[in-house]
Amino acid sequence: MTMALDLAGVRKRYGDRDVLQGIGLNVEPGEVFAIVGPSGAGKTTILRCVDFLARPEAGSIRYDGRTASRDLRELLALRRRIGMIDQNPLLFRGSVFYNVTYGLCARGVEGPDLRVRGFRALEAVGLLGLVDARASGLSAGEAQRVAFSRAIVSRPDLLLLDEFTANLDPANVNALEAAVRGYNRETGATVVLVTHNLFQAKRLARRVALLMDGEIVETAPTEKFFESPRDPRTKAFVRGEFAY
Amino acid sequence: MAGDIVQITLLSLLVSGTSTLVSTLIAVPVGTYLGLREHGGLRLLRNILFTLYGLPPVLAGLLVLLVLSRGGPLGPLGLLYTPLGMIVAQVVIVTPIILGVTMSVVAATERRIKETAFVLGADRQQLSTTVLRESAAGVLTAVMVGFGRAISEVGAVFIVGGHLEGHTQVLTTTIITDVEQANYPHAVALGVVLLVIAGAVYFLLYRLQERTLP
Amino acid sequence: MHFTFARRLLIVLVVIVVLAVSVAAVLSLFRSYVLMATTTSTRDTGLLDWLLPQFTADRGIEVRYTAVGTGQALEAGRRGDVDVVMVHAPSLEAQFMADGQGLCRNPIMYNTFVIVGSASDLAGIANATSATDAFLRIYDNRTRPGLAFESRADNSGTYTKELQLWAGTGINASAFTATSDPWYERTGQGMGSTLTIANQRDAYTLSDDGTWYAREGTLPFLRLLYSRADAVLRNQYSVIPVNPAAHPSVLVDKAVAFARWLVGERGQSLIANYTVNGHRIFTTDGAGAC
Repeated sequence: MTMALDLAGVRKRYGDRDVLQGIGLNVEPGEVFAIVGPSGAGKTTILRCVDFLARPEAGSIRYDGRTASRDLRELLALRRRIGMIDQNPLLFRGSVFYNVTYGLCARGVEGPDLRVRGFRALEAVGLLGLVDARASGLSAGEAQRVAFSRAIVSRPDLLLLDEFTANLDPANVNALEAAVRGYNRETGATVVLVTHNLFQAKRLARRVALLMDGEIVETAPTEKFFESPRDPRTKAFVRGEFAY
Repeated sequence: MAGDIVQITLLSLLVSGTSTLVSTLIAVPVGTYLGLREHGGLRLLRNILFTLYGLPPVLAGLLVLLVLSRGGPLGPLGLLYTPLGMIVAQVVIVTPIILGVTMSVVAATERRIKETAFVLGADRQQLSTTVLRESAAGVLTAVMVGFGRAISEVGAVFIVGGHLEGHTQVLTTTIITDVEQANYPHAVALGVVLLVIAGAVYFLLYRLQERTLP
Repeated sequence: MHFTFARRLLIVLVVIVVLAVSVAAVLSLFRSYVLMATTTSTRDTGLLDWLLPQFTADRGIEVRYTAVGTGQALEAGRRGDVDVVMVHAPSLEAQFMADGQGLCRNPIMYNTFVIVGSASDLAGIANATSATDAFLRIYDNRTRPGLAFESRADNSGTYTKELQLWAGTGINASAFTATSDPWYERTGQGMGSTLTIANQRDAYTLSDDGTWYAREGTLPFLRLLYSRADAVLRNQYSVIPVNPAAHPSVLVDKAVAFARWLVGERGQSLIANYTVNGHRIFTTDGAGAC
């Protein structure tokens, strides 16, 4: 299943600074959408606002065209349709299996159903062999892949990725990007990808947006964004970061 | 004489063990709940709790005495000079300790743990359970500290228990009366027993704690 | 698995707690034994641990006692927390009876106060002509280096007697201060502890002979210096069942049975024959009033 995501006029303040100054985004259901920009621009903040870890001072966020309900149960149900991974995965104490099946268990899945889906999710990232391993003993790449399978095992309709391959070697980056692609194709879920890595944005995204100084400078289909951006800031950004 | 050491030891274990367990049942859920809420008004509560860490057991004993005494509000229960009364007194002393340490441990839990659980779809109760699970080592420390206080305190169990022979004599109160009567060898023997018990309990809890580490 | 462990742990803990509390409850509720409050001095003579089982064997009633300071023992009676008090402070007992707290006051026995001190006897009280004279000699020699007196300075019968003896010499002992009278040390503790301190400090102190003989072997630096059966040194014990009119919940019948047994022929002869390290310390003067 999938989800449409629309932000309008979202403003978020931290301390005395407006990190997001009234931004707007429209992500279509099922698309892979990348947000790029300099560090500290507020990319992470957008994702945190979408997944209810931060509350914007102004503006609206619509999920499938509707803003989040106030009712706690409906809010929980909406939250459970969204998955998020950041670059520093935090795994709970215990086994890889415990971690991967956490979200399923929270949603009331149990027994053989739980096990089968957990195994399948680990298989998707090639880690079935580590199912009983202690989560604390994993390498960075393995940990991130476990975090990924943990996020998708409950089939979120919207997947938020925050620099999720930032610290990894190329082999792991490849594996995870393949997993994202596979998930998106298989389920049609919407993916919003925040990344430094312009190559990654090019590889995965259908459309790209540039966030700079708290504003969305430009949003365009991938090819157009990189080949012939409209805004001079985009041009400069795209050129300057080509060192990746 | 050996027989009475056994009886005294068993009573010590019953009183201090039960009071630690009861305090844990009360303090850990409440401490977890309070530790998770980030509220300014909690600062006052925290200060009160930390002050109660220093509550002299004799004072707690006196307060419980006045409550359990015949003339007091719970007098009709007839709990003064009984093991149950002693348990009540120790629960009063130990609960703030376990509560405070649990609260600190839970509040100090990495925000990322809470956020990760949140993002994975945990509801409020599941999140508390997860935070508690991740803080298990710290909570066990709280229990150990609480038990240490209970097994070694003498003021409250003396005042509320009355040190009745064959009935409310525990290790610590008997050590005191032994010293009063210059019965030093007996006092030392009891002291050794107390240390051995405490050591055994700590060892068990420590092993348990090891299994809760990532 | 992820969340059920908490519930399971909770259930296990609750079960254990319920079991433990049940055990404690069985040990605590439905009291059938007589609760007595008495003094640490009484306990220190060892009389009760020997006498009470005899009473239980004779009458089938169990008596358990808590040994605290005299003041505390009477307080326990005033709160109705015990069924009977056994103390040795006649003036305080009179007040207790006057306040309607006691049902009937039964004198049972008396022992004697003695003055102990270091073998050096710096004040020479071994030759004193009376207890008052002994105290006067201590006071006259108070500035001699090494001379000290330990006072219990608690609400006990012994302390009350000590003050009475000082008063007999015309001295107000309550007025002594630590700075102006460093020789006079207030311990605030029971007889056993005070004797231990006196032993350490080579000091004089007033003690009942029961505690003294019981502890003598552990006090190598102290000697019995003044020991005479002066009337003023009489340490009179009484047993007083608590008044059910004031505290309906006390086990008055059993308490009265206990008092009657103590002043009866059986109890009195047992008490008279009780020895501490070979010394027969109690003189019986039982008078039943219940």
